[in-house]
Order: sequence, then C-alpha cells, then structure tokens
Amino acid sequence: MFPPVSTFDWLLMLHITGAFLLIGGSVAAGIFNTFAMRAERPSDTAFMLRMVRPTLPLIGIGSIAALIFGLWLVHEQTEVKLFSFWIVAALVLWVVMGALGSAGGKHQEKTRAVAERLAAAGDTSDDELRTLLHDTRGNAMSWLAGLAALLLLIDMIWKPGQ
Amino acid sequence: MIAAGRPFLPLFLHVLGAMVLVGAMLSVLFLTLAAWRKPMALLSKSAFRTLLIVAVPAWLVMRAAGQWMYSKEGWSGDNDPTWLGIGYLVGDIGLLVLLITTGVAFWWNRSNKAVAGRIVTGLSLVYLVMLGVAWLAMSGKWS
Repeated sequence: MFPPVSTFDWLLMLHITGAFLLIGGSVAAGIFNTFAMRAERPSDTAFMLRMVRPTLPLIGIGSIAALIFGLWLVHEQTEVKLFSFWIVAALVLWVVMGALGSAGGKHQEKTRAVAERLAAAGDTSDDELRTLLHDTRGNAMSWLAGLAALLLLIDMIWKPGQ
Repeated sequence: MIAAGRPFLPLFLHVLGAMVLVGAMLSVLFLTLAAWRKPMALLSKSAFRTLLIVAVPAWLVMRAAGQWMYSKEGWSGDNDPTWLGIGYLVGDIGLLVLLITTGVAFWWNRSNKAVAGRIVTGLSLVYLVMLGVAWLAMSGKWS
C-alpha cells in the first residue's frame, strides 16, 4: 500500500506531519483572529473567534506529535545528542510557544464572551470590546506564539550548533 | 530534524510557504463548512480574501523556493526520485486547483449562491489531500 521507507523516514514523516498540523492550524487560527479584529459587528467578531476552536485540536495534536516523533528521531540517531544547542533551543521554544499560545487563547475567549454578549444585546460594539480587540498585550501573546513557532521552524532547518 | 546538509534559505521558504498554504486552505475549508450550516456573506468574503491574500502568495513562495532548491541541489530531471516528482505534480496541478478554487470563491462572494460555496468546500478538501500526499511523500522521501 505504501512505498518502502526506512524507520528514520517514517519518524521524520510523522514529525513533519505534526509540524504541518501545528503551523497550519496556527496560521488558520491567526487568519480567523485577524478577521475577528476587523469585523464591524460583535456577532461577526464572536463568529470568527468561534471559528478558532476547530483549529485547536490540530494545533494540540501537531505540537505533541512534533515533540514525540522529534525526540524519537534524536534517540534513533547516534550522531545527534539530546543536549545539542539546537535541540535544547527547540524544546525551550516549544514550551514558550505553548505558554504564549495558551495565554493568547484565554484573551481571545474573553473577547469572544464580550462579543457574544453584545451580539445578543443589539449587536452594537462598545468601548470594552474595542479595547479587548486592540489590546496590545493580549494580542501580542498570540503573535509571539506564532513567532516562537517560526523560530522553531528556523531552528529545525538551520540546526545551529550541529 | 528536517534537513541535513541542505540549503537553508530555499528549504525554509519552501516549507514555510507550504505550511502557510495548508493553514490558508484549512481556513477556507472551515469557513465553507460553516456556511453549510449558517450561510453568511461574511464567510464567502473571508474565504475569497484568504485565498487571494494568503493562499496564492504562499503557493508562489513555496513553488519558487522549491525551484530554487531544485537548481541548488543539482537535480537535472534525469532519474529524479519519486518524491520529487510527486512534489512537482502537486505543486503544478495544485496551482490549477487553487486558481479554480479562488475563481469559484469569487463567484460565491459575488452571488452568495450556496452551490458555489459547496464547490469551494470540495475543491479545498481535494487540494488539502493533495498537499497532504505531497508533504508525506517529500518528508518520507518515497522512492
């Protein structure tokens, strides 16, 4: 059914599949978040922020798969050491990305709850929603999580210190 | 883990373009699926914009960087491996699918006809499957 591939290539394929789900899901979440910020009515904002939800399992499964199969790949290769700079950097970036993404997600959920409330009460925006939508700190969490994912990709391809 | 001894910048741009393209197509798929349950002008407009502003530029980056890497790594077209052929096939046929999807999304955006949205769902799903086959073949180095 499948063309012949080595154990290493299987692991690499699954590791990269995890990375595709993680970054693809993050891009989709970022797109919905951008549309939510630009929406005119609270109902549209709430709708777009609800659209982020189906991307979360992809991001979660992707990040876990990338980590597990990545560590397995390190174990399979005798010439790659677990405490190499680029492996440690990847693990740190993975943790930072998760923490920032989680904080950004909480901010989005809070924004969605306010947008839902306003949508049910006349669908007119107010200062609270506008402040949440353009809150630099809240939004920065999500964009910095995206930046951490980008640095993770650079680290994986560049492999500094190897 | 992706690339030992391969040119960094073209490979990075190729992979990044492909990942952004997958993310854009996922967004379009989710937007069109949402429209099956709740038709809204917002969804057709967002799907069309995502295709035009994110998916098409991402395809360009992915394909141009792929070609850059192809020439840097010295492939000639003679006895190229299967995974490379699959990548080329999905890349080039994918452009056709992507442009047709964008065209139908434009029609959906202008007309708000449900059938147009359903065609976009089908096309984006087909394209995502094609991209999935390409990334599996290229990362697993199918021989």
